[in-house]
This record gives sequence, C-alpha cells and structure tokens, in this order.
Amino acid sequence: MKRYWNISIVIFATALAVSIVTAQRSNTSTYDLERQVRIQGPVTRVDWVNPRAFIFVDVKDANGTVMNWAVDFGNPLELERDGWKKSSVHIGDAVTVEGNPARGNKREALAKTVVLTATGKRLFIPAAARPAAAASAPTPHWPDGQVRLGPAPGKKGFWGPASTKVFVENKGPRIPMNDDGLLLNLADADRVAPFQPWAKALYLNRQRNLLKDDPLARCLPQGGPRQFQMANGFQFVEQKELGRIMVLLGGGDRNWRVIYTDGRPAVPAAEAVLSYYGTSTGKWDKDTLVVDSAGYSERFWMANGGLPHTEALHLIERFSRPNYDTLKYEVTVDDPHSYTRPWTATWNIQWVPDKEIEEYFCEDNSEHTFVR
Amino acid sequence: MLKRVFFLGCVIACLGFIVPVSAQEGHPLTGTWGGDWGSSPTQRNHLTFVMNWDGKNITGTINPGPDSIALGSVLLDVTNWTVRIEADAKDAAGKPVHISAEGKLEDISSYHRKITGSWTQGTVKGDFRLTRD
Repeated sequence: MKRYWNISIVIFATALAVSIVTAQRSNTSTYDLERQVRIQGPVTRVDWVNPRAFIFVDVKDANGTVMNWAVDFGNPLELERDGWKKSSVHIGDAVTVEGNPARGNKREALAKTVVLTATGKRLFIPAAARPAAAASAPTPHWPDGQVRLGPAPGKKGFWGPASTKVFVENKGPRIPMNDDGLLLNLADADRVAPFQPWAKALYLNRQRNLLKDDPLARCLPQGGPRQFQMANGFQFVEQKELGRIMVLLGGGDRNWRVIYTDGRPAVPAAEAVLSYYGTSTGKWDKDTLVVDSAGYSERFWMANGGLPHTEALHLIERFSRPNYDTLKYEVTVDDPHSYTRPWTATWNIQWVPDKEIEEYFCEDNSEHTFVR
Repeated sequence: MLKRVFFLGCVIACLGFIVPVSAQEGHPLTGTWGGDWGSSPTQRNHLTFVMNWDGKNITGTINPGPDSIALGSVLLDVTNWTVRIEADAKDAAGKPVHISAEGKLEDISSYHRKITGSWTQGTVKGDFRLTRD
C-alpha cells in the first residue's frame, strides 16, 4: 500500500515540475526591453548552465530590506566564445548591474552591463556582431569531387552563428524587428511573408502576446528553418555508404534529423508520418544540396517570430558552401493552407573551426530551479 | 482500495497538468471538437464537430457516424475570431431543419480552445459550447 502513496507522490511532483518548466525563454516575452533597472550588491550564487547563465545578487532597498535578484546573462556557450568564464565572477563579489527588468513583479533582470563595484572593472558587455571571418580557405571536397558539408579530413568544427535570427521573405528593405522576431511596427506584417488572412491574424495575435506561446519556450523541438538559426549550431555527418546525411542539432534538445540521399522518392505530405523535422530527401544539383521535406506536424513554430504553418507545409532547402567558412542556406516555404504563394528566405551560417558542439539541454536551468 | 483510487486520481491530475502545455499551432478551427447545444442549461444535445481547413474553405461534419450532418458553410472572421456555421439536418420525423450558429473562438493559443455562442435549429433557439479535443 505504501508503494502506491510513494509512486503517487513522485508522479504528482514530476507532473507539477513539468507543468512549470519554461526553459528556453525569449528575451521579448520575459523582459521589458523598454525599461531599465540598476541594482547593486554582493553575488550570492553563480548558475553557469544552459540555456541561460545567471548570477544572483542580494540587493538592499531604501528601507534596508534585502531582496535577492536573478541576473540573466544569456547563453553560456555564447558567453564563452566572447571570452567569459565561470570564474569571471565569484560569490561575494560586489557588482553593479544595469539591464532590463523582467515583466511583472519578478526580481529578475537581463544584464546589459556588470561592473565590479570595488575596482570599476566592467565584466560583461553583450556581444556585438562578430566580425566577418578573414579570407576563408577553399571549399573542401570529397575524393569524388562532391562538396563536403563538414570539416576537411583530420579537422574539427561545426556550423555556428547564422547571419540573421529572423525569418522573413527575401524582398525589399530590412524589416525592423528584434532578434526574437518581434516586429517594431505591426503594420510591417505584410512584408514578412505572403500570409493568408487567418495566418496573418494568428501571427499578429502571437506578436501582440509578445511570443509567450512559443513552443520552444516549452522545450519542444525547433523544426523547420528555425533549426538553422539556433545559438548552439549544428553539424552534418555525411554517411555516403548509408545514403544519408545526419544533421546533428546543438540547440534545443540535441536532436538530429536525417536527410536521405539514397535516391528514394520524396514522401507526399499527405502520406508522411507527421513530425517536427519532417521527412527529407536530398539530391546534389552540382555544388548545391537540394532537400525536399514534408510531413511536418503543427506543434512547433518554424521561426522565432510566430510564423504559422499547417500540415501541408512543404520545404525546399538549398545548401551550398561558397568557401570553407560559409554555408549558404536558402529555403522556399510552400504551404498553400497558410500562405498565398511559395516564398523564399536566405541567410548564411558561419563555420566554427577546431571546436565541437558543446552539451546543451533546453530543460536545464529552467525557472523551477529558482524561485523569485 | 482507497489507495488505488488515490493513485489513479494522481495520474489523472498529472495528465491535467501536462496536457495544457502542448498547443496545436495550425489553423485555429482544424480538429475535432466536443460539446453540446440546448435551449436551457438542463436540456442539452451532444455535439461532435470535425473541421478541416483545406487552404480555401473550412469543411467538416457534425456528429460523424450514421446520423452525421455535413457542414454547409463555416466562416471564420479573423478580425474578431467569430465563427458562423450553417448546416442542413433532418429532425426526428425526417423533415428538413436548418442549423445556424454563431460563436466566438476563445483561448486561441490553447490546444483545448473553445467556441461558445448562439445556436438555432429550426425554430428552437439556444446556446452552444465546443471545446477542441
């Protein structure tokens, strides 16, 4: 009998934890980027884990009451690339933090700067856009002449930062929006993609809700083109003898995707088992890998701004590598249930040499690990 | 026995916690919906709706099975998320009866979103409520 009580309590507690996990949050939905906050105090804890690094600071108000604040620095893998280390700040260090406060009444902020109070040394500045790579080496090839999508023999590396974090049609001047895909002016929605009326209304609904319903915030996989805009990169593993290319994804939950290159026909959307990454077949067109994918479920957002899609979604992706350090990605979205015509977006992805994708799990460091 | 009931209750409670976090993200009306309509809170008639968006129209069926009713038209006004439904059915005596309903789509980001509103079937007026399964 006691076993039932124990099992019940464990299941109940697990379900409660699952229900409050909101791990991979967007800055837009979590922080009020229009407001500023400045806090001072000693560091009480350093949480150097994925997907967000935090320090916790005891802040004394005018009445002398001490309140503990959580200060969000963003993704630690990106911070490391910018020269930060876990040891850059220690428990007990007095710091001054300037940043954006969380929405609502939570004692939490997104750091813009952190200064060591004692020395005035600036510890943290958000990373500026990385400089373009110097003159790149030539595109690597397989012995049969085909372009390699991975490192040259004996080398390491993976595909890292994308040239843009937003997903809009290749058309006209740049649309003002933040890195979470939030439009600065909702009137620009018609320039994002050729929406059907219902899809535009749903897109605007998500924008007005500051993208808070994003499935990625619940750690669901980042299907569709979004997989190539994630912070932690991806890697191709070309298995010619098996007629497939594996795409190992560093963001989200370390998922993978298979692109079949064994000549099998593309699967019609109506017959595919619905999934986050669809069913993909690829063929080389000279130096470009052309991938035809269908069979997508409706359980994810294919881009970070809340672009809708239906099970009719069909993607044609084109991967080319003009030099060693650059992957050009072009995707044509064909979803006649959501958009009035097919449309195309393009961006480049930068090679990260001599490194491997680091461990990243979306669920780590989620909100239930600290109570504000 | 009491413990087993508690255990089962916990499992059901857990499903209650977990299910709401999985949203359906496509067309807001696509899917199977359950609910009822009636002229009073005590006189209710079961409803099952199956709706599908084909890119141009919303098609579907009321109460699929041997007594199913084909949806004549379903119009979604995305400016205010209202739904207008028309269908032709037969009453118990086999006479034609027209169904007209108008409702408001609520909680649009939820998998279990709802439609509530007014329902007219022949000369009987009432209300209806549907929740997406």
